[in-house]
Amino acid sequence: MSKFSMAAQQAASNAQSNAQSDASRPPLSVVRKTAMATHGLKKSYHKGKLEVPVLKGVDIEIEEARFTTIVGQSGSGKSTLLHLLATLDAPDDGEIHYNDQRIDNLPARKKETLRNQEFGLIFQFYHLLPELTTLENVLVPRMVQDGVFRYLGNRRKYRQTATEILELVGLGHRLTHKPSELSGGEMQRTAIARALISNPRVLLADEPTGNLDEENGSEVMNTLQLLRREKNLTIVMVTHDAGMARDSDQIIRLVNGKVAS
Amino acid sequence: MYKFLLSWRYLRTRFIALASIISVTLGVATLIVVNSVMSGFVDEMKTRLHGALSDIEMSASLLSEINYPDYNVEIIRELLKDDVEEVTCVVRTPALLAYKFADRTLTQQIMLVGIDDKTFGKVTDFNPYLQHERKRQQFSFDLEESGYPDTMGISGWAYRRQKESHKRELERLYQEQSNRAVQLQSQFPQSSTEIAQTSYLQETTAPPAETDKDVQLTDGGFQLVPLPTRKAGDIEQAMKNRGSIENDDFKLDGHDPHAHLRAKINPEDMFDPMKDQYTGIILGKAIVTRKDYEGKEHFLIRPGDDVQIMLTTVGDQPKPVSDVCTLVDFYSSNMHEYDSQFAFMPLSELQRTRGMIDPMTQQGSVSTIQIKLAEGADLNACRDQLMARFPHEKYFCEIRTWQDTQRPLLSAVNMELTILNILLFLIIAVAGFGILATFFMIVVEKTRDIGILKALGAPSHGVMSIFLGYGVCLGAVGTGAGILLGLLFVSYINQIAAFVQTITGREIFDPTIYYFSEIPTIVSPLMVVGVALGAIAIAVMASVLPALRAARLHPVEALRYE
Repeated sequence: MSKFSMAAQQAASNAQSNAQSDASRPPLSVVRKTAMATHGLKKSYHKGKLEVPVLKGVDIEIEEARFTTIVGQSGSGKSTLLHLLATLDAPDDGEIHYNDQRIDNLPARKKETLRNQEFGLIFQFYHLLPELTTLENVLVPRMVQDGVFRYLGNRRKYRQTATEILELVGLGHRLTHKPSELSGGEMQRTAIARALISNPRVLLADEPTGNLDEENGSEVMNTLQLLRREKNLTIVMVTHDAGMARDSDQIIRLVNGKVAS
Repeated sequence: MYKFLLSWRYLRTRFIALASIISVTLGVATLIVVNSVMSGFVDEMKTRLHGALSDIEMSASLLSEINYPDYNVEIIRELLKDDVEEVTCVVRTPALLAYKFADRTLTQQIMLVGIDDKTFGKVTDFNPYLQHERKRQQFSFDLEESGYPDTMGISGWAYRRQKESHKRELERLYQEQSNRAVQLQSQFPQSSTEIAQTSYLQETTAPPAETDKDVQLTDGGFQLVPLPTRKAGDIEQAMKNRGSIENDDFKLDGHDPHAHLRAKINPEDMFDPMKDQYTGIILGKAIVTRKDYEGKEHFLIRPGDDVQIMLTTVGDQPKPVSDVCTLVDFYSSNMHEYDSQFAFMPLSELQRTRGMIDPMTQQGSVSTIQIKLAEGADLNACRDQLMARFPHEKYFCEIRTWQDTQRPLLSAVNMELTILNILLFLIIAVAGFGILATFFMIVVEKTRDIGILKALGAPSHGVMSIFLGYGVCLGAVGTGAGILLGLLFVSYINQIAAFVQTITGREIFDPTIYYFSEIPTIVSPLMVVGVALGAIAIAVMASVLPALRAARLHPVEALRYE
């Protein structure tokens, strides 16, 4: 384990004590509960008049507080599946459940709250806002969550938390840098910090190491593993690289829009 | 919170935003400047037109007359009751003005107005436009001793006396010269031509040996050259021979035909230009002033000079008549149209000269009755009341408010104002489309950011308000700067005009074309607020479409956008 990861481990345990919802989570020894599940999920894209089916009835179950990897070739529909799980997109058919509650037919406002507070999203291309500093990028979900006055009232606390999380991912010295001044690994770690700021229960990662070299990639993977352990996060990662899945608790293979057994 | 932060960051990091702000700024500044100048112009013009014209005029068709004006004034006062503040009667007639300048008689067409010096100043803004301080306070047609503006040079009685004594001095010298000629003639009656020739030759070949010191006089560029004295003894001898030559023109043959009349005249009663003036007349300043290339005014005549007026009598067979008046002051409203036309003299004198006084009743007729209404009286209603009382078919007079009289001018100016506003608002609209285009570009550029925000749970209306806020910011900053710029420009507009004039060498605001010597401005707060709100509204409207587009972006597609 690298120096960074050790620091991260220590910081994670600190951050854990800040999380409000930790007490309500079940201990590890309890029988696994299903965090998310899909039933007969179908999705197709339209290119002009041509209909391209991407998902052809996907049934998966993701267990709580475990590391689940969805592996599939390019075009197998794994990214689409992740977007559907994250409620960024709506399925043509089928259902998505989160904590035994159907979420694909929720009104837009509920979906937004869900994305903002329950899910943390990590993308292959980091997707940071170029005009904002590292710290501000991490604070964006909090800004979205609160109104102006509430945010300004809580600003000190939020900045404190954000700084702690950034220290956890090893970016304590990069708070006021713009994304253009960061390396790929640093940007991805900023994105992870942003995903963690609202204490989500589920971390949805779309090829988080896809754009990184091996060393940076494995550090990101280690951070994710650490977070799962320390914060009891449910992590769903999508990747085309089967090698990345070797440390996962659960592997789902997607072939041609269907789950391969 | 993220909305403000992002709006601000987009504003700060985009140069193109500055361009949009400048376009709004320029539009707003132009609108404010043009509106201020135009409303200042219209207001000033209305004040002057109104001031010179009185509220309501009841006038006989030109060159005819309203008989028994006092009786008609009574009727008007009874009809309009408390709405009337003051009524005055005037006679207006075209006339010719003749005056001497540099030994030439100049003749000019004027509009001669006979005014009642007690009431005229109360009905129209007459007194403030006079040049002499005391006349402004208490008006009269008397020539003042002095105290006219320095630009006129020496004026008033002081000038009149100086001019008269100068004239007398010249006459005296002339008399002396002719006396001397007579003396010489009488001494050498046989060869007077020879003498004249010799003296001429002497004068040109050598300076005169001896001259009387008071004879040499320079005046207006010509010099009176005295005849050289010949032998002093000869002249004395001749004088003795001939006897006294006093009043020789009357006594040449020893008979004065007017001797019996002369005896009856008291020298005190004779008109003496040193002490006496003719009827006072006030001329529009532009009638007798000329401007040189440097813009300096030159007065052809001054208060204290006498002028001649020529006009026709009223009646079925008009006859030309003329009168001599003494110029007592100038009238300068800075409205070129009036200043180059109007001349004022006492009503009774003009009535007498024009034969407007009825020999039976001794009542003078007038051409116009001018009415000033009390504060708050309804102009048009009063006019309509008067029109009903004095129907045109019966009285042959026109009843008009000052607005009716100047309607073509006022409506032209109003139309100009409206069209200018429409055109200028189009400028702001152009700026609005500029903002629209800019915003679309920014939305396209920021598509991925919008996707990110949506993925992080930002609602559509939140994303929309980023760009609306951006528009409001742009509009507000641009408008604020525009108001500042516009107001600065308006307050220094005369200095700016003078500056441009020195650069281009052309007079921008020529008082002979426009009515005023300075560019008048009025900044109405309501107009400024209106322009500001309009500009912000346009900026916001221009940002609505791009903002809507941003709000409707699908997060997955936005994230995939490269």
